[in-house]
Amino acid sequence: MVGSNDKNKLSLTIRYSVATLLLLVMVFPYLYMVLNSFADWSQVDRQLIPSSYSLKSYSWLFSGGETGTPRPWLNSFFNSVIVSVGSTVLMMVFGIMVAYALAKIKFRGRDAVNNFVLFHMFFPAIILLIPNFLVIQKVGLYDTYWAMIIPKAMSLWAIFMYTNFFKAVPTTFIEAAKIDGATEFQILYKIMVPMSKSITTVIFLFLLMERWTELLWDMIVVRSDEMLTLNVLLSQMFGPYAGYPGPMYAASVLLTLPIIILFIIFGKRFKEGMQFNLK
Amino acid sequence: METKNNNKLGWLFASPYLIYGFVFFLGPLIWSLYLAFTNWDLIAPNYDFVGFSNFIKAFKNPAVQSSFWVTYKFMMVFVPLVTAASLAVAMIVQGLPKLKSVFLIGFFLPYLSSGVVSSLIVKGLLSYNSPVNAFLRDNFGIKINWLGTPFTALMIVALIIAWKFAGYYALILTSGLESIDKEVYEAAAIDGVSRRQRFWTITLPLLYPAIYTTLILSFGVTFGIFTEVYQLTGGGPNYATNTWQMEIYNQAFKNLQAGYASAIAIIAAIVTFISIFVIKKLLEMWGKRNGWV
Repeated sequence: MVGSNDKNKLSLTIRYSVATLLLLVMVFPYLYMVLNSFADWSQVDRQLIPSSYSLKSYSWLFSGGETGTPRPWLNSFFNSVIVSVGSTVLMMVFGIMVAYALAKIKFRGRDAVNNFVLFHMFFPAIILLIPNFLVIQKVGLYDTYWAMIIPKAMSLWAIFMYTNFFKAVPTTFIEAAKIDGATEFQILYKIMVPMSKSITTVIFLFLLMERWTELLWDMIVVRSDEMLTLNVLLSQMFGPYAGYPGPMYAASVLLTLPIIILFIIFGKRFKEGMQFNLK
Repeated sequence: METKNNNKLGWLFASPYLIYGFVFFLGPLIWSLYLAFTNWDLIAPNYDFVGFSNFIKAFKNPAVQSSFWVTYKFMMVFVPLVTAASLAVAMIVQGLPKLKSVFLIGFFLPYLSSGVVSSLIVKGLLSYNSPVNAFLRDNFGIKINWLGTPFTALMIVALIIAWKFAGYYALILTSGLESIDKEVYEAAAIDGVSRRQRFWTITLPLLYPAIYTTLILSFGVTFGIFTEVYQLTGGGPNYATNTWQMEIYNQAFKNLQAGYASAIAIIAAIVTFISIFVIKKLLEMWGKRNGWV
């Protein structure tokens, strides 16, 4: 029996070592990015782990260095925040509203709306890129925040997830609240929303992350420098700053860090919500 | 109960989606079907109807043809890669008694990356004087133009995307593994079933629903590749990484051929729809033939 215990211990040690090694390989690109953003310029992209460090890349990033034309990095960071938070909040609010109607209100035409949502969800979105751009142009929203927010204000996935979740909430709760005189809006915000806390965290984080890293749409509907999101600005600087990899890594850190911090803060709730999410 | 009040409320609550669906889905859908038969250039006020000539032009165009094939090439590399990686991660993490969620969150982090950032890192890692290339050059005399060679360029883009999705799929697979009763394994072990046999006879059949999900998701991913390709290769070299999205972007927003690009987008949508449908059916057949469903 002692032998089998030792064997178990050994196999566990191996398991943990393999898992740790694999994890290091997976997060290595992030480590490489962070280390290179702080690396001495002579070592950027020259060593896997740089040996000397400075803050030059960061100060250069915000001053524009010898090019003398500082790019609006901070400004575009705030653009990203406005656009991502704006769209995500709308996607959540609309998702909850529509899902509540589909799951808990028996109205004429509900099945038709439900089928339309499913049809929309599984339709190849690629076909909509050009005409949606034209819609934005026609209504005069080109080169505004609204161009990046409104077309991204609805998530079919969020509607779908909330509909499934709300369907599982017993109708007796709602009926009891109605007898107490609650309106539908009150039921939604006082009963349904608090009940769905864990999946709300997951849905919010997924949507925010996806919105934060969007490139194609934000790239085509905006032109002015001061309107660009951070992701688009970084993308556009690939060419012009090709000779300055250090600052590019610094900008990458600026883009990546906030979202990682959010995930780590909400990590625990995220795991609970995932359990439902994956069913 | 369907009441008049409920009807009003239902439509009121659903109205944000209905408005959105008409403005950003149905309307644009019809608009793009219309555009595909014109030669509009995105700027000029006038344009002509050109019948099916946009479609004929697209079918004959080597760039469009390559988009068609490139998607399946990406599939052949990306899907096995991401499936193997996520399965490996899930099986290793599943056997850990402690810190399971810490590991899972760690593996999930790549999913949060922007394609722009991962492209930048890969570009740096593969630059001429990078540690990777310097190592290969100094020790083996190997010089590879990673992004300038069709085969390696395709492999690298597939690898970046697999890196991004592996941890996410591992999370889905882990919750599938968690639902498998441990006693089944113990009973099999007592009966002398080998480790490998246990994988094929217990794990895979019971994990099938989760694997089905990750496979469908990963096949879907290959039809939407854009950022990494746009950033690293621009669709090249020689169209080796020219995805549908890349081709449509180039035609619509670089060459300003809105009509022609709409025709390509329609072809892409049809190809995507049929491919996903066929893949789904094949996966279901695979599951049924083995008696997993």
